[in-house]
Formats: sequence, structure tokens, C-alpha cells
Amino acid sequence: MFVPYLKKPLVLIGGGLALGWLLVAIFAPLIAPYDPLQTLQPLAKPMVAGAKGELFLFGTDMLGRDIFSRLVWGARTVVIYSTLATLTAYAFGLLFGLIAGYAGGRTDAVLSFLANVVLSFPVLVLYIVIIVVIGASPVNIVIAVTFSSAPAIYRIVRGITIDVASRDFVKAAVTQGESTLRILFVDILPNTTGPLAVDFCLRLGYTAITIGTLGFLGLGLPPPTPDWGGMVNEGRAMAIAFPHLVIFPCIAISSLTLGLSLLADGLREVNDAKERHA
Amino acid sequence: MFLGMFLLRKVAIALATMLAVSFLIFLALEVNVEDVAVKVLGQYSTVEQRAAWLAQNGYNDPFLLRYVRWLGQFVAGDWGMSTFFRAPVVDMVLPRLAASAILAGGALLVIVIFGLGLGVLAGMRPGSLLDRMISVFSVVTTSIPDFASAVFLSGIFVFWLGLLPGASTMISGLSLAELVLPVSVLGLYSMGYLARVTRASMVDVMGTHYIRTARLKGASMGRIVLRHALRNALITPVTVIMLQLPWLLSGVIVIEVFYAYKGFGTLLYDAALNQDIYLIEACAMISVLVVVLSQILSDLLYGWLNPRITLGARA
Amino acid sequence: MKDYKTLSGAPLHPEAKALTKRLAEGQIDRRGFLRAMAWLGVAVGGASMLGGKALAEEAPKDGGTLRFACQIQEITDPMMTNWIEASNLFRNSLEFLTYVDENNITHPYLAKSWTPSADLTVWDFELDERAKWSNGDAFQPEDVIFNIERWIAPDSQSSNKTAFGAISRVEKTGDHGVRITLSRPMASLPEQLYSYTCPIVHRGFKGNWPADPVGTGPFALVSHEVGRQSVFRKRPDYWGTPARLDEIQYIDLGPDVTTHLAALSSGQVDVIYRATIAEYDLMKSLPNLQILSVKGANTIVLRMQVDQKPFDDIRVRQAVVLAANNQQMLDIAYRGQGDLGANYHVSPTQADYFSLPPIARDVEKAKALLAEAGHADGIDIELTLGNTQGKWEQDTAQVLQQNLAEAGIRLKLNVLPASQYWPIWNKVPFGLTFWAHRPLGTMTLDLAYRSGGSWNESRFASPEFDAALDKAMAVVDPEARKVAMQEVERILQDNAVMVQPFWAERLSAAAEKVRGFVLHPSDYFRMDGVWIA
Repeated sequence: MFVPYLKKPLVLIGGGLALGWLLVAIFAPLIAPYDPLQTLQPLAKPMVAGAKGELFLFGTDMLGRDIFSRLVWGARTVVIYSTLATLTAYAFGLLFGLIAGYAGGRTDAVLSFLANVVLSFPVLVLYIVIIVVIGASPVNIVIAVTFSSAPAIYRIVRGITIDVASRDFVKAAVTQGESTLRILFVDILPNTTGPLAVDFCLRLGYTAITIGTLGFLGLGLPPPTPDWGGMVNEGRAMAIAFPHLVIFPCIAISSLTLGLSLLADGLREVNDAKERHA
Repeated sequence: MFLGMFLLRKVAIALATMLAVSFLIFLALEVNVEDVAVKVLGQYSTVEQRAAWLAQNGYNDPFLLRYVRWLGQFVAGDWGMSTFFRAPVVDMVLPRLAASAILAGGALLVIVIFGLGLGVLAGMRPGSLLDRMISVFSVVTTSIPDFASAVFLSGIFVFWLGLLPGASTMISGLSLAELVLPVSVLGLYSMGYLARVTRASMVDVMGTHYIRTARLKGASMGRIVLRHALRNALITPVTVIMLQLPWLLSGVIVIEVFYAYKGFGTLLYDAALNQDIYLIEACAMISVLVVVLSQILSDLLYGWLNPRITLGARA
Repeated sequence: MKDYKTLSGAPLHPEAKALTKRLAEGQIDRRGFLRAMAWLGVAVGGASMLGGKALAEEAPKDGGTLRFACQIQEITDPMMTNWIEASNLFRNSLEFLTYVDENNITHPYLAKSWTPSADLTVWDFELDERAKWSNGDAFQPEDVIFNIERWIAPDSQSSNKTAFGAISRVEKTGDHGVRITLSRPMASLPEQLYSYTCPIVHRGFKGNWPADPVGTGPFALVSHEVGRQSVFRKRPDYWGTPARLDEIQYIDLGPDVTTHLAALSSGQVDVIYRATIAEYDLMKSLPNLQILSVKGANTIVLRMQVDQKPFDDIRVRQAVVLAANNQQMLDIAYRGQGDLGANYHVSPTQADYFSLPPIARDVEKAKALLAEAGHADGIDIELTLGNTQGKWEQDTAQVLQQNLAEAGIRLKLNVLPASQYWPIWNKVPFGLTFWAHRPLGTMTLDLAYRSGGSWNESRFASPEFDAALDKAMAVVDPEARKVAMQEVERILQDNAVMVQPFWAERLSAAAEKVRGFVLHPSDYFRMDGVWIA
């Protein structure tokens, strides 16, 4: 079943990048050569041996912390919080989408209206308002992302559910007296995976960028948590003299996002081909 | 007749949305009156001062009554006083919005010209080298966050080459030079998406029966694209452009803060950092209004373009 | 030997003779001598008397507009100002009784002379009869009395209330004479009167200055818009030496110094208010700008509230101080651009500095003290900071975090936006606060550590300390004062009230064409001597 996906170079490249970062995040303690918070030697240039013979692959920052180690641990921050936030958004989006699409009528009307209301906030405005009200902390950032992403997921799920619910096999299930829950989660839900997988990759990428942006604006995770956006912000004053302070974190964010959007493109192409085939 | 009904329905939905949005905003920011008093009077205020202020400004009334009154005042154009800037909010928001409109308008122009242009070029001959190059370019630029490209472009053009001004305050009037960097950064980040949508739409159209027929008849490529394909291929992208507006509004915040551009984005950012609640309320309301209006516009455009495709296709 | 004269023509204060003798015998340095003489109302001239730097003479030019990048905050009541940026706006239109230059030497300003009594408790000020308000009114003793009474009124919220707590009476002694009577001797009163909360407003002042911007100063306010810009224009009818610039535009470029430097480098502004150590390399790499720097008593104080858990236990405070590596904080977070601090908040650049050696870092002892205090498994504490001067505050805190970890102290950082830090700066149990330069150590200590003082953020309360401080504040002789300060500094250091890691060199930058802009250690920028080449 996965074979057509693996034949796509887009899926391979994108998936490789994304999976690479995932592995980096999981095995961060094994990969990072140094403690990301420890002061070693301030402002060492990349690939230059340190005073005690250490090798700083990407150099060190102003506080003498190894940038490579910070990036590796920062991958964990980004991957954990983006994934967590996206997953909770999915939990809500899926649940309400299935309910609205299947129940229709007034339930659908009310839920869709509410989704529309939230979606009419520009994303960053919504984040800023939420963070002003509840403050900036990892949990609150997850809440903010969930709140702003769930309605978009809801829309996709609802659309597919309406479509699938009208098909014969669902009608058959209904007449056979299957429970509503079973219909929703066993008969309908699997049909949403194709488009949702694409959306999931894209959304994960956006969330990573958003967390970076919040870090850049100083509204993100509190220091000293290694945070890619925060690293760019901290380093940019010195970027002219020490470009390595910002180049590597920027490459990290961009490669993760790039990987995810290539993966999404690849998945979409395969899905489209399948649909045409069917 | 149809258009009138359509518009009426859209406006009704928009009004309902705004009503719900206003309730959410008010709920989030003003449900806790103690908090409001602290934010308005400052941490140094005494308990008695806060109590007196709350009583004087009707904060002891029930929540719903306060909401209705606030909404009434908001609609009437009384948006309160900014606690940080010490000026009526309404006098601040509108000029700042105009300033941001210039920035966003410039960015939109860049996005439309380059996004559509690149998309059409790529979609004309799917799979060609040009198509590949444009596709790579557009996926890479959308993957670079706007703050990252702002850092790099400033580094190169301001500090290194000394070609462009580094801050875009526009304090001494409109300056095109000051617009170049912020517009480029915003454009770069968003044009890729439009290019990809346009390309996809173009590929679909180029694959349709009538274009293939035209090609078999030996019509030149340029002629086919201009005369037949373009008009149909642009329907989706044009509606996408309108839906880009809320996205652009988010980007504007980051870029304005970075370049010290005195627009709506820095206003909201300052308001957020200073817990200036009346200003935040107004900024949030206005940004949602912009989005809602752009959605109506997008629907109208789509409705206006759609009958013409069917007509075109039949012909 | 030069004959010294008082500004007022009154006989020299008895202390003046002793000072002259000590200078001749090499017991005090020239700067300390001039400063002390100035307090006593002796005419001392400008910095040239210090030898000064030899600059190529250039004829100053009149005219032009100077653009100054600076945050534009609300300005309402000068005595309530708590941002020095805002005080610099006032400084263009409002003047002070005295003027303290960048070498910490006090000069006449609105007051052309002052004469202290022998015991330094009765001070006679003679006001400059030429001074005039921009609305045409003459500058009178009533103006001075109005101001001082506002500062020290029972319901006054101004920091002046503590700073001038010793004033017991202000009275008019003639058409241009004001007498200030103190309840305790205070040698530095003239210097104190140039604090940034002390601009003299008109006797009819209603509480909101921009609404009716009357002043005696060389510039008039044209417009003021918070968060955008503030414009001042030269007053042709100014009573003193007129300013050189026609106009000054203060432009708000947001909080980010990199953007300020970008604007400076591309010629959009001529002077920036501040650069931080993070931009040091960037500044060095840019052509066409002058890097300005000055040493002073600017510092950050990581103070612990002595009445809050767990800092009410002195052993916990001592453990924090012993585990902190001040040298490392200076070297890494401020890249060595400053002087080492020794946790008693008096700087070597201040005249009354007694060189009390730092207590050596001792992590083992810190651990032992913690265990003794019942925290054998370490302790969790939180430090609140707001990066009010730049990211180096946070960098310092991060180095401290590493230092403390060695002693088992787990430090959590709570970083707020600057504007959110100031409302709570004196309320958090453990906070990092920037303290601006003051010419004398006693001036800072009086505000920050006297029992019950309005800016006493550590809630340190020690009658022993208050008494020692009173004693030091009454001494004019620089050497004797230093000796008196030893006790003051020791009490503060022994009580482990704070980690005060280093004295930060003040940095800024200006376009090459700017002349006469002198970085003042207190960030007090007088713009009337500035001109554009």
C-alpha cells in the first residue's frame, strides 16, 4: 500500500528531511556533542578547533554554547511542540468535523459558523491576543496553535464526511444498525486519511514557522530553551560579524519546512493519481 | 437579482461573524474587571483607585450589559483611550491601517505579478526545465520564514552593500526606497504559494480538450496561452489572492516590527507588549473586519468569474 | 597656586581650604577635588581644567536638523519620569538648578551660585536673574519652591521624595534667593538637583507638560506623538547661549537596536540613543560612524528580597552570591567591556568609592551554606528580568544560571518584555534590575537600600546601614568620605543582598558629521551644544 508513495522522489526527499529531523529530535542526547546550555568558548567560528581541542561544527554563540548542540536540542523543541500542537488541533478538528459532517442540520450550521469565526482572525493576531490573555509558555503556545488550526482541519474533515456519508456502504452500515460511533470512526474516518496526511505535513511546517516567528518576536518559549526562531533573533545583531549565528538556525527551520512541504506535494500527487485511477 | 441576494446573504453572514468575534474578543479581554483596572491604571494604582475607576466606568454592571454597551460604542466609533499612547484609539488605528495598506498593497502587487507570472510560465510546459526551476524556487521561498529573509536581505543590502535604508519608518513621508525591503520580504514569502496554485490551474487548463485541439491546429504557444488558456486558468488564483490577505496581515506584523514601519502591525505589537487592552480590542476587530470583507470580495469575484468559464467552455 | 572664588562671592567654605591643601599634598586627585569644590559653590570651570582631550579646533556651525533615534514614551509630569529617554525630551525645554557634566562636576545652571552653611544643613541658592519662561514670565524663587514642595509633598509619588527626604524647609530669601534647610547634612545636594526627575517646571504647572509646554530651556516642543516622534525647535528668545541646531527630531525606531544601527548606517538618523554589547562588532564594521563609549556606574543588580522566602535566610543569599561568577558574567555576557563588580553597588568611577575587595567565589562553601539552611538537595529559585537595556541582561542571567547550577541551585528565568518588567521591578522576590549611573555611590544607596526607601527593591532594612550612610553623606572631603563609605559598603556586601556582577560600559553611535554630542554616563544628553559639521 505504501509502494506508490516510495516511488515518488518528492516523497523520498521530503520524507527524508522530515524523518531526519524527527530522528535528530528523538536521539538529541546521543547526537549533540555538548550540553546546549553550557558555556564553552564564546563566538568560536564553525569548524575551528576550540582552545581545548573541541570541534564546534557550527561554531558557538555569544554565550559560548555549541550551536550544533543547540540546533539538535532545538529540533526537539520544535518537533515536540509543533507535533503536539498539530495533534491536539487534529483531535478537535476531527471530532467536530465528523460530528458536523455526519449529523448535518443545525449542529453542522452552528459548528461551521464557529469555525468560520475563528478562521476570520489572521493567525498571528489570534496568537497575539491569546498570548496577551494567557501569557507565553509552552503549554499556552500549544493551546494557541490548537485554537487557530482546529477549525481549518474541521472544514476538511467535514467536507469529506459529508461526501463519504452519502455513499452506499455507509448507508448500508446504517441500515444494518451499526452504532454511530462505529460508523464515524471505522467507516468514515479512514477515508479522510489521504487529504489529511497532506494537510498534516503542511500544517506541521506552518506551525514550526509560527513557533519560530513567535520566538523571533520575543513572544515564544522562555530562554534558555534552545529555540530556532529565538536563536535567529538573538544572533541577528551580530550576524554581520558572525554570520554562523543565524545561518544555521535559518537552514534548520527552512529544511524542516521544506521537507514537510515536499512530502505534502508528493503525497498529494500520489493521492490524485489514485483518485484518477479509481 | 441573483447577485443582490447573494450579496445580502454574504453580508448577513459577515455581520453575524463580526458579532461573534466581538463577543469573543470582549470575553477574552474584559471578563476579569480587576485585570482591566490593573491594565488601565497600572500596577502602582491602589485598590481604592481601581475600585473607584471601575465604579465610575460602569464595570460593576453585569457582563452582558457591559458587552452590549461596549459594542454600541464601538460601532459608534468610540473605541476608548489607549493606555500606552494616551490617545483615542480610533485616531491611531485608522492612519496606521492606511500605512499598512500601502505596505500590503505593494507586497500584493509583487505577489500577483511574480506569482502569476511564474505560475503561468511553469504551467505552460509542465515538466520542462523552466517548470522544474520555478517549482523548486517557489517551494524553497515558501519554506524560508519571513523573519529569516528579512535578516539576510538587510544584512546584504543595508549593512554590506549600503544600498537601501535599514529602517522604514516613513516618518518624513512616503519613501519608495524604504518600501523596497519590507515589500520584497513579504513578496518573497508569499509569491511561491500563488505560483504553485497558478501552475496547477494552468496545467489543468492546458490539458483540456480545446487547448489540445488548438495546438493540433497549429496555433502558436503564445497565442494559445494569451487567447485561450490564461483567462480560464486565472480563476482559481484570483480567488486565492483574496484569501492571501489574512495571511499577508500576519506577515505584515513581523515585517513592520523588523523594519520599525509605523503601521498596523507595530501598533498591535506595541499594544500586546504593553497590555493596552482597548487598543488590542480595536486592532483585533479591525483585522477580522479586513478578513471578512476580503472573503466577501473573493466570493464576489468567484461568482463573477464562474459563469464566464461555463460560457467560455461551451463556446 | 590658584585663588579659588565662590560663585556667589561669599567667603570660601572652611572645608575648601583643607581640600586645597590635600590636593597640593597629593592626598586627593584633581577630579575629586574639583567635584567637592563645586558642591561647596566654588567656581571650577569646565572639563578643560582636567586636562581634557585635545580635539582639533573646528568652528561650530549653526543650523540644521538632527535626527535622534530614541523610544518615544509618554511624557506628562517630569518628577514622575521613570524612563531616562523621556527625561532627555524634557531636558530640551526644561532646565535644572544645577548641571552635572560628563566628568561628574557640578556647574551653575538656573542657580548661578550656592553657599552651604558650615555644617552643610542650610543652603542658599541664588537664581540666575536672566532666566525667563517661554511664556514670558520671569523665573522666580516661587518656581523653585513650587517644585521642591511638590517633590516632597506627603502624597508625592516621585522618587524625589526619598532623594530629598532631608529637606525640611524651602523659603524665599530675596528676589532671586532660595534657602533650602536640611534635617541632616548633605554635601551632594547641588549634584542631586541634576537628577533626571528634577527638571524645574513653571509654578503654574498642572501635571501634564505637553498640554502646556512652558519651559526655560533652549528648545520648544513642537509635537509629541508616543511611539512615533517628538520634535523640538530652537527658541530664538532663549535667555542663555542659544542652541546651535534649528531642530531636533526624536524618532521612535522600535525596541530593536539592530534596526537603529541600520537606520544610522543608511543615513536615516544621526544619533542613536544606545547600542548594546551585542551590536559592538556590527558598529565596528560600519563605515561613517563614530562609536561613543563612556565608563560610569551603570550596572545590573540581581537583588534578592530579604523578607521573601527563601531569601529571608541569609545563608541562601550568601550561597547565591558565593556561587555567582562575576568575572565570567562580565567576560561572556558583556564581552569584558566594563569593570568587575563586588556586590555592594558602588563603582570605582564614583568619587566616594572605597575599594572593598570582592569576596572570592566559593562553590563548596555555597553548597555547605545551602545544606545548613536545609536545602541539601539544592533549591529552586526564579529570576525575573525584562531586558530593559538589551539582551545582555538575559545573557548575564544565563551565565548565572550555569554558575548556580554548580552549587545545586536550579535557577529558572522568567523573561518579560521591558514594559512589563518595570511595573513589577520592585515586587518580584528575585529580580534583575538595571541601575543607571549616579555621580555618587551614596545617591544610589540612599534610593535603593535605605530602610523603607521608595525605590528599595530588595526591602533591605538595617538601622546600622542607614546610620553609616547618613555619616558618609555628611562628609565633603573625598578621602574622609571614602573611609566612611567602607562601613556602608561592608554592611551591604556582608548581607548578601545582591549579585552585582559588573559595571557596564555605556555604548552608542553617531554619524560622523555630528559634533559636540557627548555621551554622559547618566544618559543625560544636553543638546544645546550639539552641531552638525
